[in-house]
Amino acid sequence: MPNITVDNETFEFDGQPRLLQLCLETGVDLPHFCYHPSMSAPANCRQCLVEVGMPQINRDTGKPNLDESGQPVIQFMPKLQTSCSLDAAAGMVVRTHKSSELVKRAQKDNLEFLLINHPLDCPICDQAGHCPLQNQTYKHGPEGSRFEFRKVGKPKQIDLGPNVVLDGERCINCTRCVRFTSEISKSHQLTIIERGVRNYPMTPPGIEFDEPYSMNVIDICPVGALTSKDSRFRARIWEMSKTASISTVNARGANCFYWVKDNKIVEVTPRTNMDVNEYWLADEDRLDYRKFNDNRPLGPTISGADVAWDSAYKAVSDCLKGVDGTRIQFLGSAFATVEDNYLLSKLASAVGSAAPTYLAHNEVGHGDTWLRTDDRTPNTNGCERLGIHAADVAALKSRIQSGEVDVLYVLEDDPVAAGLCSVADLSGVKVVLHYYNSTNQTLPAADVAIPAAMAVETVGTLVNDQGHAQRLRPAKSIAGVNRTLSMEIGKCRADRHGTPFDKWYDESNLVNCQPGWVSIPRIAAGLNVEMNYKGPRNIMAELSSANDGFSGATYEAMGEHGVRLSEMGVTA
Amino acid sequence: MEAKKTKAGDWRSYQRVLLPPVKDLHKLDVYENNEGYKALREVLTTAKWDPTSVTNEVKKSGLKGRGGAGFPTGLKWSFMPPVDPNIPRFLCCNGDESEPGTFKDRQLMEYNPHLVFEGMLIASYAMSIKTGYLYIRGEFADWITLMEEELEKAYAKGYVGKNIMGSDFSCDIVIHKGAGAYICGEESSLMSSLEGQRAYPRVKPPFPAQKGVWGYPTTINNVETLACAPLIINKGGEWFSKIGAPSHPGPVLYGISGHVNRPGVFEYPTGMLITDLIDEVAGGMRGGKKLKALIPGGSSTPILRADMIEGVTMDADSLRDAGSMMGTSGMLIMDEDVDIVSWLRRITHFYHHETCGQCTPCREGTGWLENIVTRLDEGNGQLRDLDILLDLCTQMEGRTVCALADAAAWPVRYTIDRFRSEFEAKCSTDSVPGGGVLETA
Repeated sequence: MPNITVDNETFEFDGQPRLLQLCLETGVDLPHFCYHPSMSAPANCRQCLVEVGMPQINRDTGKPNLDESGQPVIQFMPKLQTSCSLDAAAGMVVRTHKSSELVKRAQKDNLEFLLINHPLDCPICDQAGHCPLQNQTYKHGPEGSRFEFRKVGKPKQIDLGPNVVLDGERCINCTRCVRFTSEISKSHQLTIIERGVRNYPMTPPGIEFDEPYSMNVIDICPVGALTSKDSRFRARIWEMSKTASISTVNARGANCFYWVKDNKIVEVTPRTNMDVNEYWLADEDRLDYRKFNDNRPLGPTISGADVAWDSAYKAVSDCLKGVDGTRIQFLGSAFATVEDNYLLSKLASAVGSAAPTYLAHNEVGHGDTWLRTDDRTPNTNGCERLGIHAADVAALKSRIQSGEVDVLYVLEDDPVAAGLCSVADLSGVKVVLHYYNSTNQTLPAADVAIPAAMAVETVGTLVNDQGHAQRLRPAKSIAGVNRTLSMEIGKCRADRHGTPFDKWYDESNLVNCQPGWVSIPRIAAGLNVEMNYKGPRNIMAELSSANDGFSGATYEAMGEHGVRLSEMGVTA
Repeated sequence: MEAKKTKAGDWRSYQRVLLPPVKDLHKLDVYENNEGYKALREVLTTAKWDPTSVTNEVKKSGLKGRGGAGFPTGLKWSFMPPVDPNIPRFLCCNGDESEPGTFKDRQLMEYNPHLVFEGMLIASYAMSIKTGYLYIRGEFADWITLMEEELEKAYAKGYVGKNIMGSDFSCDIVIHKGAGAYICGEESSLMSSLEGQRAYPRVKPPFPAQKGVWGYPTTINNVETLACAPLIINKGGEWFSKIGAPSHPGPVLYGISGHVNRPGVFEYPTGMLITDLIDEVAGGMRGGKKLKALIPGGSSTPILRADMIEGVTMDADSLRDAGSMMGTSGMLIMDEDVDIVSWLRRITHFYHHETCGQCTPCREGTGWLENIVTRLDEGNGQLRDLDILLDLCTQMEGRTVCALADAAAWPVRYTIDRFRSEFEAKCSTDSVPGGGVLETA
């Protein structure tokens, strides 16, 4: 493998990586702004300048010239080079700010330039605290400023589109946002306008920046020039905790971070997973988080009356006791985790009922060829692998209407809103409902209603449309003590759990709900059916060995980036 | 000390070839009657001329680019990759003449446009190119109209287009009008602009010969450079190489402006003594004033003081030794009344206005330079401002994608270097803003 020497240390490399990428991967934190690994390198921020030399080649022999000690003579390029636009080459010798005063000076000089017309309004800027310009200025920048003139004024607080707001003055013209729309999303909705120091990104006349992936430019903006209309001014970065989890808005299961303040989700941002969503996240994944905070249930109810959890569990058990299994209809859910659906299947077979089915939530035409799917549920693939198939809605509807169903057991879904039946149809049916929000339209028909933990409150596994099994992690806590959840939170945020800085640990806004893997075993216990699992981790361990469709999908293996499950014919 | 000696030989009896004294030469029929398209006919119809031999003849002539950088033209042509019939290739003729003090291409386009077309066609033949773009700055609206009319006529006569003069060589010429940005004269941003994109210069490598217009092999030459090609074919590379300074030969258009009696564009051999150009060609200093300073080739070439030009000739070597550059040979002559700080203020304003804003040092640095020079010019500057100016030049030079940062920094650096006392005289003696104490030199 070819070698490259960076700051007197020699590294091997593979293929033809860009020099900056190679430096970053080998742990040399070269400052940079305009470079993004997924896009072309225009080399316009000029921050990643380094000294680059190549072995001097003898023109006659075609071999490198050697010095007295037998080492190749290195010829350095006369000017500093931008490492982002150079490909690493065999024998290349690079000096970064760690070994070259010239490079150090160049980086400092460049930051001085970047800052002279930057408003330096960090105290009111949403980017402060996770701002590449701020961070790199502290690391590599000048101590003060020699600039004694009026800064350039540019338009501020411009709505580029429904979701993105521009502050032109903060922009450092890295053009990442423009390149995103021209190279990644291909919407071509942004361009740079004006000239010179007055440059800033803008939409062409008459065009709105309304593509379904527009908010990605907020994440790649290295300053606070592009902010989210939805979440700006909501919370400072240090007031929030973030949890690495996955989005549940569609079947792709894009990897994301949930940001929590006072036990409420305030923002959703992408998390890099090259197998699923690369660096990106659709706007719908980011904006559909209020369901986690608003209209959450207050606790379990029996026929609308508040009860204690134990009474609710007993009521569900009583509903199922002594009923002919064939007259109980279990509805699994593609919103719920693999673990919860698996337990529901076990419960169904314990009472002699057929395998559960689930209600498909397809919105034809919604998806695209990128990260959005027609399927608006996150776990259809997981349900299918468990042998839970889509319900024949028409057949089921007529069974309900003709009185063939005595008990309808619904796991985390809303059959009335989904059009399966009306509340009136369910008047003669005992309905057990695990539900997320008090807006659930099946709720008026429910005999026993069990508030269920949502994706941001539970531990579990979802399988995306490509067969990628990924872990959900709890981003916020629920009311009551649940040691498994606490432990999982601790495991995914080992450094922060339990400290005064952990914004997750807050007594306010706790929702009185339970994950399926808590409530279903309790209901089963009332029927003398044993489900002895320490927690979802063990359920998945059992599934990964018992069901070929999940082989290898243990929590340890899934880790941060999930496991690609083998192609599996759906079991008949 | 060596006596002052011109390298232009008997320049007083020089016969003009680029802009010969022929009335209405811009008209096709007049051009035809004056050996027009003779070189093209010879190249296309004589067996002796294959593309390589045309390039070799240009190499032999020693022609160096007239756009400012002075790169050997024949060598540039030979950088084009081998012909692949599936890959188009392009020629760009750079007529985006925008450098302050430069106005010579305009004369060619106005008075001898067919020579430019003929040069483009010969260059296209030499590099097997089928499309030549002529990029002209938009402000030259009148000459664009004129050239478009003349190009129509040339098409009608079969000098341009399909199977030119019955040969199997076909080449189109497309006139493209710029939209008024200095940066479009930079070759890579010219290509971006031509493609309809924002005129941001591109990172090199890849060079235009590898990846140019639309991503295909491209050669970019200045208007005057290409206009020399027909002359070289007609009279031979050797004839050309013997005109003017041996290391930088050929006829050249000197654009002389400023405080002289007869400003204008003058065609003479390279290697003219600067003093000859001022005193005789341009009719001497206006009002009998003394020469104070001059820039030899457009505003970005380093300024020369009057005492630095003794014996200096207008060619790359001599000007390099004198501490400047040939540039575009657009000479700006300044007399003793010029306030050099004020002049620099105007120049820094130009580069501030024209920076494209792509690279940080240039985008931010040009404005800062103008701010400080303006403050100095208004008498509010401090001595330390001069150090900051020189510091900023160091921070800009060589650290950007294209050379505009250098072009903006050099006038500041060399003007302060060579006229420091005038800057110091304009500095304020008040205390430093913010309560500091001014350090006096």
